[in-house]
Amino acid sequence: MSVSGAIAEIVAERWIERTLASYPAEAHALLCGETDPFRNPAGHAIKQSLTTLAHELLGEMEESAIATALDALVRLRAVQDFRPSDALRFIFDLRDVVVEVIGAPPQALEIRIDEMALMAFDQYMACRDQIAGLREKELRLRMQCAAK
Amino acid sequence: MPETLVQIELKPPHGDWRDSHVEFRKGSICYSAAPKNLTALGLPNPRAWQPLDKDWKLPPDWKRIILDGMKERLDKYRSFRLFMDICVRCGACADKCHFYLGSSDPKNMPVARAELMRSIYRRYFTLTGRIFGKLAGGRELTEDVIKEWFYYFYQCTECRRCSVFCPYGIDTAEITMMGRELLNLIGCNTNWVLEPAANCFRVGNHLGIQPHGFKDSLDFAADEAAEITGLDFHVPINRKGAEVLFVMPSADYFGTPHYYTLLGYLMLFREIGLDYTVSAYASEGGNFGLFSSHEMMKRLNAKIYEEAKRLGVKWILGGECGHMWRVLHQYMDTMNGPADFLGVPVSPLTGTVFENARSTKMVHICEFTADLIHHGKLKLDPRRNDRWIATYHDSCNPARAMGLLEEPRSILRAVCRNFHEMPENTIREQTFCCGSGAGLGTDENLEMRLRGGFPRANAVKYVKQKHGVNLLTCICAIDKATLPTLLEYWVPGVEVAGVHELVGNALVMTGEKERVADLRGEPFPAEAYAATTANEAGHA
Repeated sequence: MSVSGAIAEIVAERWIERTLASYPAEAHALLCGETDPFRNPAGHAIKQSLTTLAHELLGEMEESAIATALDALVRLRAVQDFRPSDALRFIFDLRDVVVEVIGAPPQALEIRIDEMALMAFDQYMACRDQIAGLREKELRLRMQCAAK
Repeated sequence: MPETLVQIELKPPHGDWRDSHVEFRKGSICYSAAPKNLTALGLPNPRAWQPLDKDWKLPPDWKRIILDGMKERLDKYRSFRLFMDICVRCGACADKCHFYLGSSDPKNMPVARAELMRSIYRRYFTLTGRIFGKLAGGRELTEDVIKEWFYYFYQCTECRRCSVFCPYGIDTAEITMMGRELLNLIGCNTNWVLEPAANCFRVGNHLGIQPHGFKDSLDFAADEAAEITGLDFHVPINRKGAEVLFVMPSADYFGTPHYYTLLGYLMLFREIGLDYTVSAYASEGGNFGLFSSHEMMKRLNAKIYEEAKRLGVKWILGGECGHMWRVLHQYMDTMNGPADFLGVPVSPLTGTVFENARSTKMVHICEFTADLIHHGKLKLDPRRNDRWIATYHDSCNPARAMGLLEEPRSILRAVCRNFHEMPENTIREQTFCCGSGAGLGTDENLEMRLRGGFPRANAVKYVKQKHGVNLLTCICAIDKATLPTLLEYWVPGVEVAGVHELVGNALVMTGEKERVADLRGEPFPAEAYAATTANEAGHA
């Protein structure tokens, strides 16, 4: 399945817009407006990841590119103040965006979105596990230190 | 850029920023201080409670205590009143806070965080606020406001990045400090701040290591340095009449990777024959009192000058620590000085007079070492650090509070051959905090730390991808304790080291044995190993 780059671009833009709307309104000006990746690291990560994901989902569906982009975004949302369902809601928003831009999504795209959602679940859990592991590691080091 | 989002929104945002209700969630808060630590320090309202509890067990007259405390501080500190009055809400600071950049929580904009207190100031301490209340930007002081203060004033690392951009020079860190002082008056404090403070008050250092443990640790380090170099090492403790008192953060002799920095100090001091001593009484450079109240900071800091006087040293040298230097450079002189019993620090090897320390009498080890290198007093082989591709994280306090920008870089360029800077707007005065300073570096607060540390990690990731950087160097004990966790999550494959660890690796000591491994026990790169062997042959 492949659509033109221009359409993928429009899908990416609308998808970014919807995802950024999950943040407080006061933060939108920064998240959307600032283009320097170091002055706006979160906005940059969101835009870069979603652009890659949109192009891959509507294009070649290269697994390593999807995994990298998904990791950058899910890693961020896994530590931000979201419930798990809200953290990953952006994937399911894609369906609505596709309907808006190109009409009812073809079966193949539905399958791809589902695939990506499953990858995101794995990634989210891996991040949360890692956080728990890092906490445990810090605690262990602290205990060792006290034992000395 | 999505166009609909950058259009001017005419509708006000959902909710009112003055709504003070906050939701405390495990993983992004620090736990409360244990009653025993409040008792040890003589602080009010010791009790068992947690921020997650509904009832915080505040004293019955908590409101009067807070307002009286605020009045006292407004009268005492001109800066506090000025910072409350002068902000024009231009927004220059708004997007400069690492917590705001990582969390997108609007109340983490420094202006909004300060507004949490300004609204109370307006309501109770200005005429318009007293008359017009909400209309004049005032808010009633309620228990929810206290909870909100606790939540957000413990989401500020007092790094002062925002103050760099404020056209009026408002130091938002000082507003946080005032907020925490007021919270302390009613017993709302965190254990990660008060336990180290209590330990330090009672025993002399944050970890509560008693003098015999302190001696054991340093003897162990001396033995290890001896094993690495084949030379004899002895660390003088409490030696009267030494020229220099050396004060370091306690993490240097108990934490990792701090410990390798300690080995670097010991090797440097031995090589140049420095007449120095450490002290079991002033065995902590760090000062968690800074994160609690000015009285606590003063109490904990006093031991440094006291010990310098008792031991009869000429001046004081300080190790790699962050907030320690904010206290020493900005407050110690007027808080516990003047130290007129000490002399102006002079390097015994180069004769350099440290004019910048004429008043405090205390020199940063990076200033001292950079001066030695500048005068060619050290034999260095930077090839020994070839396994590292390094970058440098300006630790907030040495960079912004004392302007220590060039010295660490000049040392790094002399001791390693692969050094790359992070992007300009993430270093020097604009450096991003590790996200764990000011007493936030505890494991229970890890999610918040990961948010706050994201902008720093993002810049590290950039130099890792561009230059293959695998080492983040820094000169702060909190950085060394918390950046490894941060990088493991955001940029795996980058390690953390102190600047003097790399000095210790590169330092070619007179009479040293054939060195084959660095201070971490990792073999030197082949080229440096060959050079070491050749040096040995030369000595023979």
